[in-house]
Amino acid sequence: MRILIVEDEPSLRQSIVEQLQEAGFNVDAAADGEEGLYCGTEYALDLAIVDLGLPKLPGLELIRKLRAASKSYPILILTARDRWQDKVEGLQAGADDYVAKPFHFEELLARVQALLRRSGGWAQPVLRCGPVALDPRTQEVTVHGQRVELTSFEYRILEYLIHRAGEVISKSELTERLYAQDFDRDSNTIEVFIGRLRRKLDPDDTLKPIETLRGRGYRFALQRESAA
Amino acid sequence: MKRLPAGTSARAPRSLSTRLLLSVSALLIVFFGITIVALDFVFRDLSERAIRDRLEVQVLALLSSSEEVPGGGLRPEQLAEARFDNPGSGLYGEIVASDGEVSWRSNSLTGAGLAFPRQIRTGERRFGELRRGDGSAVLAYSMGIDWQFSDGTMRPFVYSVAEDLEPYYAQLRRFRGGLFGWFGALMLLLLGALALLLRRLLAPLRRVEREIEAIEAGSITEVGGGYPRELLGITTNLNALLNSERERLARYRNTLGNLAHSFKTPLAVMRNLLGGAQVRELPVARQLDEQIGRMDDIVKYQLKRAAASGGTGLGTAPVDVREALEALRGALLKVYAERGISCELLVSESCLFMGDREDLTEIAGNLLDNAFKWARRCVRLTAQRLSDPAARRDGLRMIVEDDGPGIPEAERARVLERGARLDERVSGQGIGLSVVRDLVQLNGGTVTIGASALGGARIEVRLPPT
Repeated sequence: MRILIVEDEPSLRQSIVEQLQEAGFNVDAAADGEEGLYCGTEYALDLAIVDLGLPKLPGLELIRKLRAASKSYPILILTARDRWQDKVEGLQAGADDYVAKPFHFEELLARVQALLRRSGGWAQPVLRCGPVALDPRTQEVTVHGQRVELTSFEYRILEYLIHRAGEVISKSELTERLYAQDFDRDSNTIEVFIGRLRRKLDPDDTLKPIETLRGRGYRFALQRESAA
Repeated sequence: MKRLPAGTSARAPRSLSTRLLLSVSALLIVFFGITIVALDFVFRDLSERAIRDRLEVQVLALLSSSEEVPGGGLRPEQLAEARFDNPGSGLYGEIVASDGEVSWRSNSLTGAGLAFPRQIRTGERRFGELRRGDGSAVLAYSMGIDWQFSDGTMRPFVYSVAEDLEPYYAQLRRFRGGLFGWFGALMLLLLGALALLLRRLLAPLRRVEREIEAIEAGSITEVGGGYPRELLGITTNLNALLNSERERLARYRNTLGNLAHSFKTPLAVMRNLLGGAQVRELPVARQLDEQIGRMDDIVKYQLKRAAASGGTGLGTAPVDVREALEALRGALLKVYAERGISCELLVSESCLFMGDREDLTEIAGNLLDNAFKWARRCVRLTAQRLSDPAARRDGLRMIVEDDGPGIPEAERARVLERGARLDERVSGQGIGLSVVRDLVQLNGGTVTIGASALGGARIEVRLPPT
C-alpha cells in the first residue's frame, strides 16, 4: 500500500514516515502543498495524509485540487484547528476523516487502515476470502484458522491483492504500490514472491487463491465474505 | 451610582419632526399674533379717523346751512343728511347756545338718551366717545363757534354731531373674523405643507432607522445605498464599522487557528517522539504523554472559548440552520462511517439562526460529536426557531439525542463543568460539553441534560429570542 504524507514540520513528518514504513507501508513524503499536489497527482497512491496548515498551498486547497483531478483515494486530514467549521470544510472539500493534533500514532494508523479497508469495499476489520483471513491491525494471516508465517514483503503483496480481491492487478501496479522508489524494480521478483505466497497459503494446491492472467497480471480469486 | 434627581428623569426625547413642527407652530402663532394685533390697531385707527372726518363734515354742513331764527337762535335750514330726521337712525345732531339754551335738536335724538357736552369754548373741537342712556356707545364731535347775527351781535354756540358705534363695531368684528379666518387657514396650510416637507425630508432618516433595526434583527447585513449626501457619511461609516467588525472576528479566529497550529504541531512531535504504545508503558513516558494531553485540552478549551463571537452577530447574515446542520451531519457520518450510526435531522421549515454561523456549528458539532461517540445505532438532532413578538431576533432550540448509555442524573451537572470527564476512554468528552455550555452562555442561552426516548442522553440547547 502506498501512502503520501504531506506535513511541513520535518520531525513530525519524518516520525510518521518511519512509523508507517515500520507498519508495512510504502511511504512518500512532501513538505509543502505544492510538492504534495505533485506527488498526489503523479504517484499511484492508496491514501494521502494531509496537514491542513501547509505552506505554499493550504491543505484545503490541496484536497480540492486532488479531488478536481479525479483522484479518488481516501484522504485523511491532520489538523491542529479544533473548530468544527474547519473540520466540516475539510471534509466537504473531499477529505474522508480527520485526526486532531497531537495524536498517538496508533490512532493515526487505525484511521489509515480503516480508510484503506473501506476504500477496498471491506466493511469489517478482518478481511476474509473463503478460508483465508487477513487482519491488517495485527498483520496476521490465517488459512482455515491456521496461522501462516509470512515475510514482510509477502504480507504486503497479499494484503494488496486481498484488499482488491476480485480485481485484476498488473505486475507494474504491484511494483509501483509496494516498492519504495529506490528499490530494485525487477518484475521477476514479484513472480518469485507470488510463487512463495501460493506455496505458503495453499501447500496442497487445492485452494488456488492467486490466479495468473497471462499478460494482464494477478487476481485474488477466492470469494469475499461480505459480512453485513 | 449617581441618580438623576426626580423630575429631571429622562423623558423620551421627541422626534425631530415633532420638535420642528412644534417650534414652527409657536413661531407662527407669535408672528401671526403680532400681525393680527398690528392690523387691528391700524384698522381701528383708520376707522376712527374716518368717523371723525365724517362727523366734522356733518358739523360743517350743519353750520353752513344754519339760519338765524327769531329770538337769537340758529337752526339748519336744510338738512343734507336725512338720517337726522329719523329716530333711531344712529346719527344725531344738536345746536346749543353756550348759555344752555337749545337752539336745535335733530329728530333722531328723541328718546336716544344722549347728552352732548355743552361747555365747549369758542374754537374748541372735541371728539370722543359718549354713552347713551341704554349704555351703548357713540362717537361725538363738538365744535364751539361764535355766530355774528345780522344785527351785529355775537353769540357763542356749540354744534355737536354723534354717530352710533354699533355699525363700526360690526365692521370691526367682520374685519377681525376675516383676519383670524384667513390667518388661521394660512397657518394650517403652512403647517400642513411643513409636515409634508418634513416627511419627505426625513424619509432617508427613517429608512436608516428601519435598516438598522433590520440589521439588529439579523435580516440584512449592511445599510443599503442611495442615501442623500448628508447621510452618506453616517451610512458608509456604519457599513465600514460592521464590516471591520466582521473582518476583525474572522482575522481573530484565523490568528487563533494559526496559534493552535503552531502550538499543537510541536505537541504532536513530542507525542510521536514518545513512540508507540510499548514505549508509553514506561512511567516517565506515560506521564509526559498525559501532560501533553492536558496541554492539548487546555489549548483546545481556551481557544474555542476565545473564538466565540460573544453572541453579538451584528451585521451577519442569518444562518440557514438546515444547511449548516446538514453539512455537519455529512461530516460526522464520514468520520464515524466505521460505526454505521444513522443520524436523523429534524429541522423546522425555514429555520434561521440570527447569530454567528461558527458559533452554531461549534455548538452543534460538539453536541453531535458527543452523541456519535456514545450512540449505539442512532442519533437524532431536532432544531426549531423560537419566536417572540416582543423580541427583535428569533432564538433557536436544538435537541441532540442518542441511544447510548445516557448520562446518570447525578452526573448531569458535572459533565457541563470545565474539563469534566465521565469516562476517560473517550477522549475530549468533557471539553466538548463544557465548550458547548460556554458558547451557549455567551450567546445568552441555556443547556439542559435529560434522558431521551431513544434510550440515551438528551441535551437541549435554548438560545432565546432577544
